Amino acid sequence: MGKVEYDDVWKQFATRDAPAVRGLTLDIADGEFLVLLGPSGCGKTTALRMLAGLEHPDRGDIRIDGRSVIGLEPKDRDVALVFQSYALYPHMSVRDNIEYPLRVHHLAAEERLRKVERVAELLRIRHLLPRRPAQLSGGEQQRVALARAIVREPRVFLMDEPLSNLDAKLRTHTRTELKALQRQLGVTTIFVTHDQAEAMTMADRIAVLDAGQLQQLGTADTVYQRPANLFVAQFIGSPPMNIVDATRDRDVLVLAGGWRVDAPRGLDGRAGLKVGLRPEAIELDLAAVSGAQPAEVLVSEPLGSEVIVNVMLGDSLLKVRTAPEVRPDPGTRVYLKTQPESVRVFDASSGAALN
Amino acid sequence: MSIIGPQAQAQVAVPPRVRPLEGGSRLEWVLMHLAFLVVTVFFLAPFVWLFTAAFDAQSQAYIRWPAQPTFGNFVAIFERYAFATALGNSVFVAVSTMLLTVVVVSLAGYSLSRIELRQKTWITYAILLLQTMPLSATMVPIYGLARELGLRNSYLGLILVHSAIELPFLVWLMKGFFDSVPRHLEEASWLDGRGKFRALFEIVLPVARPGIAVAAGLSFLSAWAEVLMVLILVDQQAMKTIPLAFYETFRTAGGYTEVQYGLVAAMGVLYVLPVMAVFFATRRLMVRGLMGSTRGL
Repeated sequence: MGKVEYDDVWKQFATRDAPAVRGLTLDIADGEFLVLLGPSGCGKTTALRMLAGLEHPDRGDIRIDGRSVIGLEPKDRDVALVFQSYALYPHMSVRDNIEYPLRVHHLAAEERLRKVERVAELLRIRHLLPRRPAQLSGGEQQRVALARAIVREPRVFLMDEPLSNLDAKLRTHTRTELKALQRQLGVTTIFVTHDQAEAMTMADRIAVLDAGQLQQLGTADTVYQRPANLFVAQFIGSPPMNIVDATRDRDVLVLAGGWRVDAPRGLDGRAGLKVGLRPEAIELDLAAVSGAQPAEVLVSEPLGSEVIVNVMLGDSLLKVRTAPEVRPDPGTRVYLKTQPESVRVFDASSGAALN
Repeated sequence: MSIIGPQAQAQVAVPPRVRPLEGGSRLEWVLMHLAFLVVTVFFLAPFVWLFTAAFDAQSQAYIRWPAQPTFGNFVAIFERYAFATALGNSVFVAVSTMLLTVVVVSLAGYSLSRIELRQKTWITYAILLLQTMPLSATMVPIYGLARELGLRNSYLGLILVHSAIELPFLVWLMKGFFDSVPRHLEEASWLDGRGKFRALFEIVLPVARPGIAVAAGLSFLSAWAEVLMVLILVDQQAMKTIPLAFYETFRTAGGYTEVQYGLVAAMGVLYVLPVMAVFFATRRLMVRGLMGSTRGL
């Protein structure tokens, strides 16, 4: 079991002006893989460390399985943390590292041996057991750190950017493995990262944080398709959502450059709007189509499986995702269209989504 | 063709190397080695004298090969000058000082490294300020304090005072070492189920071992070599340490008019040998510690 609740948690460090975490409220279900996502300094690591007991919240409550852990020492919380630096004990062999938490909890030697062997098998690191951490590669150290967390069978796994020290190829591979492993073990996992691709691929739900505040909580699809505000819209997605100023003319939104698109249904009439369009929500035609907006190509960026065409719409730069064979030359006139249901509208001053 | 020309010229222009020496003439080579020789002789001469004179039945105040090699000087210092007592006292005081110092500076250094205190900067400066005080300036108060507390002519007095001498510097040194031990290591240990005190002993101290070795080595050497405080604190023969025995032998063994160089040299040999032995036994750890590295354990 491992149901985690953050209840209006605040944390302010003496060395910083703004609170690191402001009023975080978050329920994480037993067995869920939750990713805390945000730019550096957004408070995600602080939120994780408060759950581990390594930092103390100024206000609010943190509960595991319904019981507050605020007064508990880290050793009494029954959570395991995989650090970004792995934090392997350098003076111990890999075997001793993995065995350490079991030894601390006074398990019998026989059982310790059995558990260490089993987890080493699971992570395919049996051959590394006699070595010292300094003799391992980054990827191997990462596996040992995971093994040390898993072997204890804690209520909750906490992971603080555990993949960020791996090279790109290994990171993608480990991502898949880690997700499969979490499914297999079924242990509640809270995973901190600033990498939105990591979050999208691994999470059951993503909690997007910025400036210490929860911006949105939802599945990868929700935060991608229906971002709650401009921050989430621009943080998630690569390339990010195009954001352009817009005004409203009855049922039509007039975008920068004079592009008129149908307003999504049920949109409140307001001035000071911003429209968000995902790069794949814009259709690009080389020939003139009725109702399409003409624009000029700045540059095309071929990425193999797709092309990102940069077009100028008035003063705004739009990124449009197209099929690999569509790569117009700079200066070409192209025609843009979009569907009302893919148009996201935000309040320009508050940043909040309006539809 | 025009490309080959200059290349060929360049090859001719480089003179063939006379000797495989990196950038320098024969004269430079000679001067450099001469300088090495002078420095080496200058630093080694006292030790050469020490070891030759100690085995010389008629040793003098200059280096000479022993005409009649003998162990007589060593026998004499043990039989007539109670050197065993001084040696025992020195070993006991230096080892105890080392143990006490290591415990105190480890805990103090760890605290200064990890605990968030509002006045931490001032505390650390104050500790460093203490180290800058000349020891001799504190002779009188230390004498008075030791007399009032009954610490004169006692092991405890010597150990406490010797520990205090290097304490400020070593607290600083250890703070630096603990700063270089990642906090994540002890945090990982806490999360693995350890309390803070045991995590310190199981994880942090072993990782900071090179630093502890340096603290141990320096505190031992300091206590081993200390003379001034021994002079102040000790006036009984049974309590004297080697430096004091050394000093008295130098002044009095020849009847105040001449110096018994052989006895002094024999004591000197037995004084430096343990230190050299300790150094060679722990040199790798010490070097790593002095270079401030906790990596690769």
